[in-house]
Amino acid sequence: MFELDMRSRKPIYEQLVDKMKELIMNEVIKPDEQLPSVRTLATELTINPNTIQKAYRELETQGFIYSIKGKGSFVNPNNQIKDLEKIDTVKKELEKLVIEALYLGIPASQLIKLIEELDASKGGGESND
Amino acid sequence: MIEMREVSKKFDRFTALEKVNLSIQKGSIYGLIGSNGAGKTTLIKLLAGIYLQDFGEVTINTEPVYENIGIKQKIFYIPDQPYFFSQYTTKQMARFYKSCYPSWEEDRFQRLAEQFEVNLNQKIHTFSKGWQRQIAFILALSANPEILILDEPLDGLDPVVRKKVKNLLIHDVAEREMTILISSHNLREIEDICDYIGIIHKGTLLIEKELDDLKADIHKIQVAYKDGTPPDKLLLNLNPLHIERRGSVYLFIVRGEEAAITKQIRQTKPVLFDLLPLTLEEIFIYEMGDIGYAIKNVMV
Repeated sequence: MFELDMRSRKPIYEQLVDKMKELIMNEVIKPDEQLPSVRTLATELTINPNTIQKAYRELETQGFIYSIKGKGSFVNPNNQIKDLEKIDTVKKELEKLVIEALYLGIPASQLIKLIEELDASKGGGESND
Repeated sequence: MIEMREVSKKFDRFTALEKVNLSIQKGSIYGLIGSNGAGKTTLIKLLAGIYLQDFGEVTINTEPVYENIGIKQKIFYIPDQPYFFSQYTTKQMARFYKSCYPSWEEDRFQRLAEQFEVNLNQKIHTFSKGWQRQIAFILALSANPEILILDEPLDGLDPVVRKKVKNLLIHDVAEREMTILISSHNLREIEDICDYIGIIHKGTLLIEKELDDLKADIHKIQVAYKDGTPPDKLLLNLNPLHIERRGSVYLFIVRGEEAAITKQIRQTKPVLFDLLPLTLEEIFIYEMGDIGYAIKNVMV
């Protein structure tokens, strides 16, 4: 289904959570679709089943999936969390860019102006991300 | 559940283990790492019921292990040098284990032998070191043990076989909640599959933690400042385990919560800031460095 980077410094459990979120947000795994079982995924990826269990638990607390006892885990059809998550990632990316811009010497006032301009034009035509 | 409580073991006047407390949950893959001569093998032999402790308790499912046949039938131990009776073939060795382990599964033995393409009628000592290890794994997994104890298990196996063996181990953990204890020097090797880590040094267990928690608690930080040096106040607050300077970039190893550290550093307005998790190898080196074990001695 997907590959994890065993050489990466990022803990496997975090990689798993992020990968799953990505798949859910891009609807590769559809709402209410069942996720692969812990056992299947463990053998498939050669990863400790406890790590996968932990990742699934984390996804559940974050509201991305729900589990039915004896049946397995399923994708939560509720979009709200997905949007919140997306807002969060976009904000973080933006933050990075803004810092870079500030270090490059673009004055804050100019950035604010840019945002206001974009906001104003958004109402007229196509929306911008 | 495997437990050691206040366990000490001496050989003559040499103290191999001192007041070790350890617990391993069912279905967990526990990685035991430590410097040379730290007491890893002694600890393993106590758990396998080969040695008797001088003090303390060693229990599996709350029963003492030593001379306890019922418990020992649930444990399979592969030492760093697999042992086979001299002149025995794999088939003969299998017959022996079948008589020891009630949970032995003949079907599985045949399947595994086929999968690894082992000639069952060839004498084991005529096989290479790597093959002998594979045979040890085949025998171990055919016995369906509740607990598998491995001392330097993947040494001398080629990458393909290693992957195959790992997969089989994971399969048994996932399917029947087998518990595995692995001791190894090859930290990269066990980093992928362990969920719990114990670090042992000079006979005492320094750390016992979930691998993810261990990683979440220690960070590598790279920072650089416009005027060259980081503010003294920051250093005082972070109290790094290790500081290194590479040109104008500073490298810290810091313990603590990621969010809190990030906030503190952001406040000092660095021109460059990176926070990375450590590899198990690095955690080992810095933790050991912290208690005065020279880094050059533990490079793997």
